[in-house]
Amino acid sequence: MKIIESLAHLDRRIIFLLVALAVIIPMIVPLNLPVDITKPVKNIYDKVESLPRGSVVLISTDYDPGSEAELYPATEAFIEHCFRKDLKVYMMGLWPAGSELGNIALNKIAKVYNKVYGEDYINVGYRPGGAVMLLSLGRNFSDVIKVDYQGIPIDSLPLGRRVKSSRDIFLVMTFSAGDPGILHWITYFHARYGVPICGATTAIMAPQQYPYLSSGQLTGLLGGLKGAAEYETLVDRKGRGLRGMDSQSIVHLLLVGFIALGNVILLYQRRKK
Amino acid sequence: MLITFFIPAKFAQDSSQLLQLWYQGVTAFFVFIGIFNLIKINVDKIQRRLRDWQYSIILLFFLGVMLGTGFIGGRDSKIFLYFFENFQVPLGATMFSLLAFFVASASFRAFRAKTPEATLLLIAAVIVMIGRIPIGYLIWNKFPDLVEWIMQVPNTAAKRGILFGIDLGLISMALRVLLGIERSYMGGGER
Amino acid sequence: MINTIGIWIAALLTLAIYSFLYKDNPFYKIAENIFVGVSAGYWAVVLWYDFAWPNLFEPLFTKGQWYNIFPIFIGLLMFAPLIPKISWMIRIPLTFTMGIAMAVSITQIVQGDIFPQLQATFLPLRGISVFNVISNLLIISGVIFTLTYFYFSKEHKGALGIGAKIGIWFMMISFGASFGYTIMARVSLFIGRVYFLLHNWLGVI
Repeated sequence: MKIIESLAHLDRRIIFLLVALAVIIPMIVPLNLPVDITKPVKNIYDKVESLPRGSVVLISTDYDPGSEAELYPATEAFIEHCFRKDLKVYMMGLWPAGSELGNIALNKIAKVYNKVYGEDYINVGYRPGGAVMLLSLGRNFSDVIKVDYQGIPIDSLPLGRRVKSSRDIFLVMTFSAGDPGILHWITYFHARYGVPICGATTAIMAPQQYPYLSSGQLTGLLGGLKGAAEYETLVDRKGRGLRGMDSQSIVHLLLVGFIALGNVILLYQRRKK
Repeated sequence: MLITFFIPAKFAQDSSQLLQLWYQGVTAFFVFIGIFNLIKINVDKIQRRLRDWQYSIILLFFLGVMLGTGFIGGRDSKIFLYFFENFQVPLGATMFSLLAFFVASASFRAFRAKTPEATLLLIAAVIVMIGRIPIGYLIWNKFPDLVEWIMQVPNTAAKRGILFGIDLGLISMALRVLLGIERSYMGGGER
Repeated sequence: MINTIGIWIAALLTLAIYSFLYKDNPFYKIAENIFVGVSAGYWAVVLWYDFAWPNLFEPLFTKGQWYNIFPIFIGLLMFAPLIPKISWMIRIPLTFTMGIAMAVSITQIVQGDIFPQLQATFLPLRGISVFNVISNLLIISGVIFTLTYFYFSKEHKGALGIGAKIGIWFMMISFGASFGYTIMARVSLFIGRVYFLLHNWLGVI
């Protein structure tokens, strides 16, 4: 069959073009597909809902621009949920660019909810040292953190004075794209100090977190852009996560089609031999 | 560090804490040496007119711009953040997004069910790909539950088994490093 | 105005990177080198302001914490290879950090990974629904069979061979699921860029 033979040598730039169209067209003409909520995501939502007003939530933005598309929408949705519940947000980043990306989200949402820097939220910037840093952090925050990201002494800020050790943190939410990240929060911070950990990871990392979900070391998990879309649905926020789900659906179907076509070609080639 | 884990006394924990803080201080210099090497390599490339040396000028120029705006204007200066938001973020995000195309190409050319194991892998992948999108929920409302079951049962089992293997390997590697048997991280042979 | 210029710069750099999909070209190479330069500069600045100055140098110079000289000195030894006579001293910071990291990892891997995961594998097989019994049995057996596959001290024959084979099946399902998620991740990154181009740059959506 000539069609199958010509498809077997399809120029990859045609594949690239089809993928691009599969993403662009649903963005321009949205399908507004409903998003189902999975249990790991609901667990995070329920955990935040259960926290008393004024509780301190530590948000760790452990990603860089390479994972911004997946994790930034989840960051915004989570921060909005925290501010809506009147929780205090203590932000830091184990990755240098993460602290800035988190800062952009934090300031944007804080303005909407009229939150006061230093009282309702704080950003202490980039903390190097990975896993070892987490151990010393949990014991004594002021040993590790001297100033916030603007260089203001941490003890001069009310929220900075309030958080002295892991005992003052009610929940850790990490937005993680790799190492250091969620695994260190679980095996070092949670294992040593017992603080509940929730995580949002890139979709690539999500399957590796399920053993920790199953063991209870991880309370909840947002996996990739779909996880962000689910959380946006729960907090009733029209963000980039939900916007991207139509394109995600069409591309996935396209790729399943590619896989099926590739295997049809394989069967044809085997029969020909 | 190992011993202080088992001694809850304050002097042990304080000394452990001090060593951990020193560790953080030393690791900061790893980044500085990395940037120093980056500058050295590119300056060398320009001086010796090696292949694509012109691009090294661009690299060093923008490195200089970031260092200059950052150290003169401050970490939260508008111009420093402007370069971060309009150069670093779009470039970083776009670099990694290229992989979407290559994964699509690979799924057409390489993802073939040649063996029973590969078929099982393919079936699991297709179920997850359809089950994790809203259309999957519309096709069959139990699709997401099926995917969650796959993630929580066979995926968890296999990942946990692999995790044990990795952890035991890491512990043995760590012991080898601490006992001085493994010295490859020092570079340049046994001495 | 300045924001508009910034968005145009971001859009043009994005398109420069995507031009690689057609063919490798100078625009892509320029964008790539800008990325490396900007990222490296950013990291150095943030590291200095967020950590190095307030935690190391400022306490040393202004607060009299003289013992900070030790991590600074050990860290500066990273530059030892520049002077051939003392290039061997680079081993000091390397062994210092490796020693601490390895020691900490031994205890935490056992406390934070092995014990909790082992505990989580002891799942109930009574007093729950049939479906959950089957699921739990699958998890327990899956862990054992996966570990069986990685046991290389004996040839995979007989019972060990069957166990290893079943372990492979569990791993294939797991890798298939990971592959599905990987595709999802890669596509999501592209979706993010398309959203930027259509919404922030062109204003089409």
